[in-house]
Amino acid sequence: MADRLSVLRNLTAFFAFLLLTGCPPPATTQSGSASPASPSGQTGGKEQSTTRESTTGPSSLEQAQQGKVPSTPASSPLKEIYFDFDRYDLRADARASLKANADWLKANPSVRVEIEGHCDERGTNEYNLALGAKRAQAAKAYLVTLGIAAERLSTISYGEELPVCKEHTDECWQKNRRDRFVITTARPAS
Amino acid sequence: MFVRATLVILTLLITLSLSARPFYSQVRGTIEGPGSQRYPIAVSPLRNLGTGDDKRGLSESFADAIGNDLNLSGWFGVLDRSAYIERPQQSGITLESFDLKNWSTIGAESLVKGGFSLQGDDLTVELRLFDVYQAKQLVGKRYTGKVRDFRRIAHKFADEIILQFTGTPGVFNTRIAYVSTGAGGLKEIYISHLDGSERSQLTNNRTINLSPSWSPDGRVVLYTSYKEGHPSLYLYDLAAGRESRVTDRSDSNIGGKWSPDGQFIAVSLERGGNTDIYLLDRSGKVVRRLTEDPGINVSPTWSPDGNRLAFVSDRSGNPQIYIMELATGKARRLTYSGGYNTSPDWSSKGDRIAYTARVAGRFQIFTLSAQGGDPQQLTSGSGDNEDPSWAPDGRFIVFASNRSGRYHLYMMRDTGENQQRLTASGGDDTNPSWSPPLE
Repeated sequence: MADRLSVLRNLTAFFAFLLLTGCPPPATTQSGSASPASPSGQTGGKEQSTTRESTTGPSSLEQAQQGKVPSTPASSPLKEIYFDFDRYDLRADARASLKANADWLKANPSVRVEIEGHCDERGTNEYNLALGAKRAQAAKAYLVTLGIAAERLSTISYGEELPVCKEHTDECWQKNRRDRFVITTARPAS
Repeated sequence: MFVRATLVILTLLITLSLSARPFYSQVRGTIEGPGSQRYPIAVSPLRNLGTGDDKRGLSESFADAIGNDLNLSGWFGVLDRSAYIERPQQSGITLESFDLKNWSTIGAESLVKGGFSLQGDDLTVELRLFDVYQAKQLVGKRYTGKVRDFRRIAHKFADEIILQFTGTPGVFNTRIAYVSTGAGGLKEIYISHLDGSERSQLTNNRTINLSPSWSPDGRVVLYTSYKEGHPSLYLYDLAAGRESRVTDRSDSNIGGKWSPDGQFIAVSLERGGNTDIYLLDRSGKVVRRLTEDPGINVSPTWSPDGNRLAFVSDRSGNPQIYIMELATGKARRLTYSGGYNTSPDWSSKGDRIAYTARVAGRFQIFTLSAQGGDPQQLTSGSGDNEDPSWAPDGRFIVFASNRSGRYHLYMMRDTGENQQRLTASGGDDTNPSWSPPLE
């Protein structure tokens, strides 16, 4: 049953993409979350200038499935934000990044984004899943106050499961306590 | 599936008591207690009573499995086989048919002997426990099954030996469900025997799979999986070899624990960034919301009577363990020392709760009274020790530790004594869940 639903959803997403873009999506994941990760095929509006070079990269899970370290390219128009240990309140540097992200989202009004909340490896996996959800939600709430429509923003927590940095150091842990912003393009309303 | 092959109970093990004399009352107390010596026991390779050659090496494999269980228990010190005088294939397995001096000479106070015969895949095993100094048989059992069941038979007899010495059966005929990283570092759910043997892979979806936990009858494993993109609660029916999603596909879930009566599942549901604990019925329908709190509420664990839940909440500003009476819905805080107390697991005896606490930047296993108070630190040292799960007898705890580099599973007594490594996979083994006693 679950598998059938998953297939249906994938098909729906696939045809929605074909309708929107007129071309097949880039590689998608096997799972139900699969949504085209690159906005490069989009037509109309200012997104035409959004080339493959200036994307956010695919979702962290998709990158991990491809054997890659889940990271955001330096050229990404949407910057990652960072948190303190066991905290989900937004630091000043995070707010500044979110303002820049909001400006870009205003200039690219049909782009939808999935906000990924991540944690460092310390602590319990289940608690960190909940903490990551709080971190993603904190960014979403702030972007909404900056004028971005909530419908354009979805959230997911990966807890401590998909670190960008594997060493057991303070510097590494800070890199991992992050929100990533992943462009999901036009996604069928769920 | 592997799991079906190893876990479906195809063959009823028929156990015949060859000597039903209750013995444990005499020795109980001599083997328990802190600082007790390991009781010296010899486990002889089994005699091949069949007509064919022992091509599978069952004679020694039985002795290895039983001896390993006894060593893991911490109560016994199994004497090294190289010191054994007797030749197992030439000596008898009943009291009158071998020389006890061969065993008292090497310092064995107890002795395990036995024999087996194999016809095709059908295995018959006879196992006996002797008191060397009193020159008597303490217990004798005959088991029949398939050859692939041999390790289960060995575990059952180890449990029998522990019953004789402590008055309560051992917990070696159980399984551990846990998370392990394979190629690419993605986490999948695995099941193995307690000693780490006969490991089988439950999930293979190449996403993230977490937080396995057993149904009270040991037939089903619940876990959280990202197989449909976001974390949802799934179950795996071991007998049917079938996986299904428990919760609505749109819900994001964390963890999930079956109530002791098997009627409910307590699970965290994330909505709008808030994580609260809900009760589901067996079909996955929400029957009650248990926490209504703007913070994080995760990791429920049931009291054995099913009347209370312990869980983790950050409502005080950092993660602490709380207890809720289900009848009233009222929660009270249980942990007060330290700023990070998580992953509670309620002992099947009911009196203690094991949990993970952050101490001096490291994570350590503690227990505390289910009434609150009396925290006891069970692990220490430079590694992280996390995710405690009680044995069904309430005398042991399995946990994950990176003390040797990667995360592996370890077990220890509930006092923290006798910490022993169980798994040796090439990846990281975490999130263990100890099964109920199995047939």
